[in-house]
Amino acid sequence: MKVVLKDLVKDFKSADTVAVNRINLQIDRGELAVLLGPSGCGKTTTLRMIAGLEQPDSGRIYIAERDITDLAPKDRRVAMVFQNFSMYPTMNVYDNIAFPLHAIKMDRKEIDRTVREVARLVNIDQLLERSVRQVSGGEAQRVALARAMVRRPEVFLMDEPLSNLDAKLRVQLRTEIKRLHQDTGTTFIFVTHDQEEAMTLGDKIIVMNRGDIQQVGTPHEVFFTPRNAFVANFVGTPSMNMLPGSLRVEESGRIFVGLPGFELELPRRFEAGLRRMSSHHVIWGIRPEAIRLVSAPGGNCVPGVVELVEALGSRDLMFVRVHDQLFGVIVDALDSVAAGQACLLHFDGAHMHLFDAESELSLLLDEKAKGA
Amino acid sequence: MVVPVRERVLSYAILIAMAVLVLIPVVAGSLTAFKPQIIWISSPPVWFFEPTLENFEFVLITRQNWLHLRNSLIISIGSVVIALILGVPAAYGFARFRFRGSKGLMQWLISLRMIPPIVVGLPFYAMFLFLERATGLGLRDTHFGLILTYQTFLLPLVIWMMRGYFVELPAAMEESAMVEGYTRIGALWRVVLPVVWPGIVATALLNFIFAWNEFFLALILAGNNTSTLPMAAGTYIVRARVEWGNLFAVNLIIMMPVIVLTIFLRQQLVKGLTFGILE
Amino acid sequence: MKPDAATQPGGQSLSRRVYRLTQRHRHWFFIGPALLILLAVVIYPIVFSTGVSLFRVTFASTSRPFVGLQNFERMLDNDDFLQSTFNTLYYVVFSVSGSFMLGFGAALLIRRISRGRDILRLILIIPITMAPIVVGLMWNWMLDPLFGLINWFLGLLGIPGQTLLAQASTARLMVVLVDIWQWYPLVFLIIEAGMATLPRAPYESARLEGVSSWMIFRRITLPMLRPVILVALLLRTVDAFRTFDIVRVMTDGGPALTTETLSLYLYRTAFTFNKLSRAAAGSILMLLVIGLISAMMFRFLYKDIEVG
Repeated sequence: MKVVLKDLVKDFKSADTVAVNRINLQIDRGELAVLLGPSGCGKTTTLRMIAGLEQPDSGRIYIAERDITDLAPKDRRVAMVFQNFSMYPTMNVYDNIAFPLHAIKMDRKEIDRTVREVARLVNIDQLLERSVRQVSGGEAQRVALARAMVRRPEVFLMDEPLSNLDAKLRVQLRTEIKRLHQDTGTTFIFVTHDQEEAMTLGDKIIVMNRGDIQQVGTPHEVFFTPRNAFVANFVGTPSMNMLPGSLRVEESGRIFVGLPGFELELPRRFEAGLRRMSSHHVIWGIRPEAIRLVSAPGGNCVPGVVELVEALGSRDLMFVRVHDQLFGVIVDALDSVAAGQACLLHFDGAHMHLFDAESELSLLLDEKAKGA
Repeated sequence: MVVPVRERVLSYAILIAMAVLVLIPVVAGSLTAFKPQIIWISSPPVWFFEPTLENFEFVLITRQNWLHLRNSLIISIGSVVIALILGVPAAYGFARFRFRGSKGLMQWLISLRMIPPIVVGLPFYAMFLFLERATGLGLRDTHFGLILTYQTFLLPLVIWMMRGYFVELPAAMEESAMVEGYTRIGALWRVVLPVVWPGIVATALLNFIFAWNEFFLALILAGNNTSTLPMAAGTYIVRARVEWGNLFAVNLIIMMPVIVLTIFLRQQLVKGLTFGILE
Repeated sequence: MKPDAATQPGGQSLSRRVYRLTQRHRHWFFIGPALLILLAVVIYPIVFSTGVSLFRVTFASTSRPFVGLQNFERMLDNDDFLQSTFNTLYYVVFSVSGSFMLGFGAALLIRRISRGRDILRLILIIPITMAPIVVGLMWNWMLDPLFGLINWFLGLLGIPGQTLLAQASTARLMVVLVDIWQWYPLVFLIIEAGMATLPRAPYESARLEGVSSWMIFRRITLPMLRPVILVALLLRTVDAFRTFDIVRVMTDGGPALTTETLSLYLYRTAFTFNKLSRAAAGSILMLLVIGLISAMMFRFLYKDIEVG
């Protein structure tokens, strides 16, 4: 169902929670939305307000046009999976899944049928008689998923459900959550601080920081067209290379960005927006993937020395020193240059990012995108 | 930890010596409770004799100390039950909700551990007395009066101990149940209570010990109808001839339940005695 | 989906307002009842005592003239009050230090042994589980001049029978020793629990670096145990300050008031001499002193740990 947050405020004075500053958000029916941000950004507080576990200080919350702001959690027709809790320790797996059904006084036969059906859906139908001591962390989190699904909620809320699992299990369960979302067609709201998790899961990513929404967009949008320096820096690993710089506009209309020790030319398509911004202070950025090793010098090519090489598998992450600045560069493992060697870097103008040094907003997005 | 042999032997020697110093009066005294009257006061003490229960029979029936036993049970169990009914929800409240002044309130609760009983006992006596004179409402020499007074030390202790148990549980446990269709009370009842049940039992038993051993407030506030076992024990020493065998029979009746409980409660004992200050 | 009336957007029905209100004040729902009872059984008596201490009230009299601070002045002038204050301080100093050394020592030693540790610990904590009155009565018997075990033992060593509890020179010491016997387990339990939570890494690295056991104790164990030690000292001080039960049954303050504690003196003032107001004044003074001591020790404590 469609979830709408309107002018939602949670004051940090009123409780020991992270503040949320007047956020507005719409999550469409059947969407898998991911709230992404560092710890303390307000993403969990937002989720808990949707669940009814925190009362907002002002603002309203709607699910399918229904104002649920002043309803108890139990009446909101949502389900929630938690990070540090998965199973009621005094019940076995079966009773855990049946627990939400007892609340609505379903008859025993119906409960039994529903529990078995849902258990099959998350692959724990073999474990129904097990107690909490006999299930692993991953299995316990599947029980939590089953318990969330069993009442057919209108919205699934997930608060970092995978954070306490080991890496392999996390990837596996991530895929299953994606599949569950496709099978049920229900609205999912997923909270995580892991940007990789957000990218792989989300239809829509809501990047948050310090209680504010920084950007709302598809995984591609937040990755390729970050609205501000925070999003650019937070999304993507290894993170974007960012440097302070200033603009220089030539008579001819060519635009350069002056960085500590060297200068790079911006592509012509930026001309229109930046022509009047000579000597403007900016934050310049480029992703490690957009820097290439070249053999012959040319435009936007700078020499450097490789300091360190980290193997990522099929590719290598090199740290290259250019005029006292360290750049992360991702190259094919076969092209990698050994540490200590000199190399020539080419910065692709098409993949450069520019942000206003003061407001940190992107200078490259058109006005419409900025308003998003 | 690797400990040199010499150090270990020395440690054993000192600890065993301390244990002996603890055990001698306790064991020798308790033996007296089983001695026939003629050897109560023999010196050197008689170590081997045919044990008898006549002292217990004498104190409980002839001297009617079963009444004191009954009073002790009523007051101890009653005050623990009241303390739990009031204290467990309060402990949950302190564990889960932060609100303005919550920290100060909790510190105030710790400070109640420091209040001398005379500060409470004296005004209680006067209050009960004046209340009775003014309204005829008698709390003096009633079980309820003592049960109420005992809340001064039991209630803060229950709150502090139980708070520790609640803090250890993830809040998500009851929150999960709340999202799944239960009210907070329903979630507490069906999910949290079954988990903290052992903690409640431990808290109850430890508080029982404190109430059971209490002497001062009972001395001030109890009368003929409510006199407790520790007070009965006191009467055996002020009699013209000290009745050692009878005295130790009463002592043993007071000690036995506590020692049995202690064996089960070793872990919780520290928590209770330190009043949760060590958290 | 059927829209139900109570949940229309913007609706401010009564049930919603009630829900909002209960959410905001939900903590009082849990804490309130206990707090009310505590106010009734702790705060009210203290207020009552303070009030009574400003008047001249006895249990029998019906006229209750206001006398201001006169009760406090009389109390502070009273030789018996000063004597019992001195005795109480004597108890505090010797009982606290004695029980602390014994309990701390036992806690250190018991970590060096493994076999029989549980049973030894159980035996060592027996005294604290006993009712103080039972402990007092038991030691009365131990110290009995005619049939007590102590005198029998002294007799074996060729020392004639002593009336240890009846002599002014020894009675106070005896009572203190019994108090130590009963309460050293408190220190023992607290310190041992504290030591069990110490991290292992500093010890392992110190040992690898060849630091001596004494230095490990001085430089690692003691500083890390500081908050625990303070708690033990605080609780023992407060308990020693209000000693009543043991003294009451062993000597009842005698001989010649040499063992009279503050609690005992105030009890007697109120219930034997029927001077309610004066006893109330004394108990308020006592509360203030204990409050001051705990406040000071708490300040030390809060430097180390965050409580709550």
